[in-house]
Amino acid sequence: MTKHSKIDMPALSRRHFMAVTGAAGLMVGYAAMPDANQALAGAMSHPKFEPTQWYSIGTDGRVTVVVGKAEMGQHISSTMAQLVAEELGAAWKDMAITLASNDPKYNDPVLGAQITGGSWSTGMNYDAMCRAGAAGRMALIAAAAEMMGVPESQLTAIASHVVDTKSGKKLPFGKIVAGGKANKVFTADELKAIKLKTADQYTIIGHSVPQLDIPPKTNGTAKYGIDAFAPGMVYGMPVTPPVRYGATVKSVDDSEAKKVPGFIRAVVVEDKTGTTTGWVVSVAKTYEAAKKAGAALKIDYDLGPNAKVDDAAILAESRRLHEDGTEGFLFVKEGDAEGALKTAPKVLEAEYTTSINIHAPMEPMNALAMEKDGEWHIYTGNQFFTRTTAIAAAIAGVDPKKIVLHQHFLGGGFGRRLESDMVVPAIAAAKAVGKPVKCIYTREDDMHMDFTRPLTYQHVKLGVDDKGHAVAMTHDVIGAWPTARWGIPAFLTPSVDKKGSHDSFTVNGADYWYTVPNHTVKNFENKLAQAATPSGQLRSVAPGWTFWATESMWDEMAHATGQDPVALRLSMLDGLGDNAGKNGTQTQGGAKRLANVLRIATGRAGYGVNPLPKNEGIGVACVSSQERSSPTWTACVAHVAVNPETGDVTVKKLTLAMDLGTVVNPDGVRAQIEGSALWGMSIALLEKGTLKDGGIEQSNFDTYTPMRMSNVPELDISLIGNGEPAVGCGEPAVTVVAPAIANAIFNAVGARVRSLPITADAVKASMSKV
Amino acid sequence: MSTLNINGTSHAVDVPGDTPLLWVIREHLQMTGTKFGCGAGLCGACTVHLNGEAMRSCQTSVADAAGKKITTIEGIDPHGQHPLQKAWVAEQVPQCGYCQSGQIMQAASLLAKNNAPTKQEVVDHMDGNLCRCMSYVRIQRAVMRAAAEMRGEPGV
Repeated sequence: MTKHSKIDMPALSRRHFMAVTGAAGLMVGYAAMPDANQALAGAMSHPKFEPTQWYSIGTDGRVTVVVGKAEMGQHISSTMAQLVAEELGAAWKDMAITLASNDPKYNDPVLGAQITGGSWSTGMNYDAMCRAGAAGRMALIAAAAEMMGVPESQLTAIASHVVDTKSGKKLPFGKIVAGGKANKVFTADELKAIKLKTADQYTIIGHSVPQLDIPPKTNGTAKYGIDAFAPGMVYGMPVTPPVRYGATVKSVDDSEAKKVPGFIRAVVVEDKTGTTTGWVVSVAKTYEAAKKAGAALKIDYDLGPNAKVDDAAILAESRRLHEDGTEGFLFVKEGDAEGALKTAPKVLEAEYTTSINIHAPMEPMNALAMEKDGEWHIYTGNQFFTRTTAIAAAIAGVDPKKIVLHQHFLGGGFGRRLESDMVVPAIAAAKAVGKPVKCIYTREDDMHMDFTRPLTYQHVKLGVDDKGHAVAMTHDVIGAWPTARWGIPAFLTPSVDKKGSHDSFTVNGADYWYTVPNHTVKNFENKLAQAATPSGQLRSVAPGWTFWATESMWDEMAHATGQDPVALRLSMLDGLGDNAGKNGTQTQGGAKRLANVLRIATGRAGYGVNPLPKNEGIGVACVSSQERSSPTWTACVAHVAVNPETGDVTVKKLTLAMDLGTVVNPDGVRAQIEGSALWGMSIALLEKGTLKDGGIEQSNFDTYTPMRMSNVPELDISLIGNGEPAVGCGEPAVTVVAPAIANAIFNAVGARVRSLPITADAVKASMSKV
Repeated sequence: MSTLNINGTSHAVDVPGDTPLLWVIREHLQMTGTKFGCGAGLCGACTVHLNGEAMRSCQTSVADAAGKKITTIEGIDPHGQHPLQKAWVAEQVPQCGYCQSGQIMQAASLLAKNNAPTKQEVVDHMDGNLCRCMSYVRIQRAVMRAAAEMRGEPGV
């Protein structure tokens, strides 16, 4: 791991994976990336119209921000523009966005790569974008001083004009740019030394400015990957095997396909990256011909080693790993939990599971690949350009520098488009037929070949003393390891005892902010699941299951010991020791901020104020998603009604409170919380993926059934902005809803369900045990 | 050869009659505002109007669409200022935005007949349109806002 940027975020150092150039497999061919600040300084020495690589200013005064993040509806492009505009002194009406290519100069300034996820973008880009904006303002002011013949100190930038504070005279940005004198160069140190605005000086940050990507999304002009065209383009229809992973093609009989007018040929995908196995592409002049011919292909497969794997086998293997205990990697080791459990007067023990979940973004996976003058141009929407570049290069058989990725809006990301599989059939087919090929998955293939949220198994043991205090917890987290599959060593985390590295993105959240003196968390890879179900990051990742277990267990403990679940949580959120947080980071304020949001949500919901009707209940949960170093303090109160005859659950209301530190765009944050809370509810109650004979069983929205409008409950959302560093808001609410609902169901009818999704049958079955 | 009347313009297309209208609109004519979501009539992303009725274009053949008046998101208003489009911006509805053409087309067929729907009528009419970003709260609000504008109510 080499020295990275000068930004002091030591807790994030494990993600500086670009430093591990060529470390393994897919990474071979990556070029070393320049230090982010050096890149910025280099760009600063360039044209007058482009103060940094992050934006340009036209002679018409238009400020176009180049967004290095995937725009998937989180409106991150507008957030970046807000940060730039604030310090630049631009008027919001002059701001525009464009999406960055895979040029490494657009790498994330902290991560050193182009990746969008983890609810990281706002927090990690806040400083760099503000500094870029400020540098532009200083350059414009310097030029204006020369043009106006007044000292710089007399000038300020307001609403896209440089204004002389003495005379009131003003020059529009566009005119200054046209004057050609805006050419101030900043070194990295000078950039770092710029004094940024304080929150009380903000005029754009903190305001619900209209999102720049919304108008084109109301009139059909927004361009997604699926909307790309190239001259002479033909279509590729992936034909995929019945098993998710591990099949090989033995033979292809295209005699029937050849009868389809427009059919060109079937291409067996040779994928040395291992992204796909056993795929064939049916190539034809039209989409419908490619589809028809694809269906007519007779393919003989060797189904490989995973052809008998199903959910039951994966779960059995997880239980075996737990009972065996030796293969776990220590993620948390505080005190002696195992010892304390032996002497604790009361021990609670439970298993919590979550099913496979399918991303199913509304835009099925797709890519258009075109070779031109030795370069491969790929048109798609993708969350992880750095990795996709490497995979595209491997499939095309060219140097990564010859891969040009053209970013588009993403018709849903949710972690699905962190994967690069869509470029594989497109490039393979384009190479084979010598023409540009657009590949569009059917919805069925999109589901069958999803990089799903893994089936997870957790085992929690909680020791309670005579006073009702939690004294020890052991927590085993077991499933497939999505991030480990990427083969990027720096994404892995050394275990606490340094005995090895593990995928902490499957266990984040288990290192919660409650004070429990003895606490052990172990992370296990289920290799059977890893081989059979290449899993992925699904919106909220590990906290989507770790908090499911722990926030359920606290509720179980409260009921078992006659305590109020809110009072119990507050008593453990004492903010002592490591739970105090670290000043100057996103963790500043620590557990007490979590206690605060819990109080706000319960207060807003009228927790404990009025008695509820029979078969109704209120449940609470609070979380610090996503990671220990990047917590977004979030609490939820769920109000449910349960039909005791059927077990059907109706969510009447979700009350959420979220502490965002600095709220960049309040309405945008609300939109993210609305969407992510409903996503969490959808996963809690409606979405279930299953594996049988090595294949995902669900094919379309009749069998995989995300929430529809009729399922939407009343939502009450409170934002807390307290001037702390800005944090992400696209995922945390996902993680808090399921346990709140489960805890509400218990309060309504006494049914404790420990498996997601919560089905009516499971509620009914649990009720009968009461 | 079929002739399709889309947004007031005639298009001659040389495709088999059983070709789904969706693919002709999107890929042959490159009018990409209409989206492919499921290919099975389960999500509503491909919704267009046939003679003013909301239809799933992935389930409508070219043969069935020929001779009818087809309207897509590009043609719902010449300036992109249909009351629903304005309301979609005012309420900041779209997130990823991919389903929103279909949502707007579906809602437009309701408001064309009923400019004072109840919340339940909106839900019933819109329940076949999936939004994976789950922008449902705002879709509801925007439909109500557009309806109010269409009724000529002030203050929206």
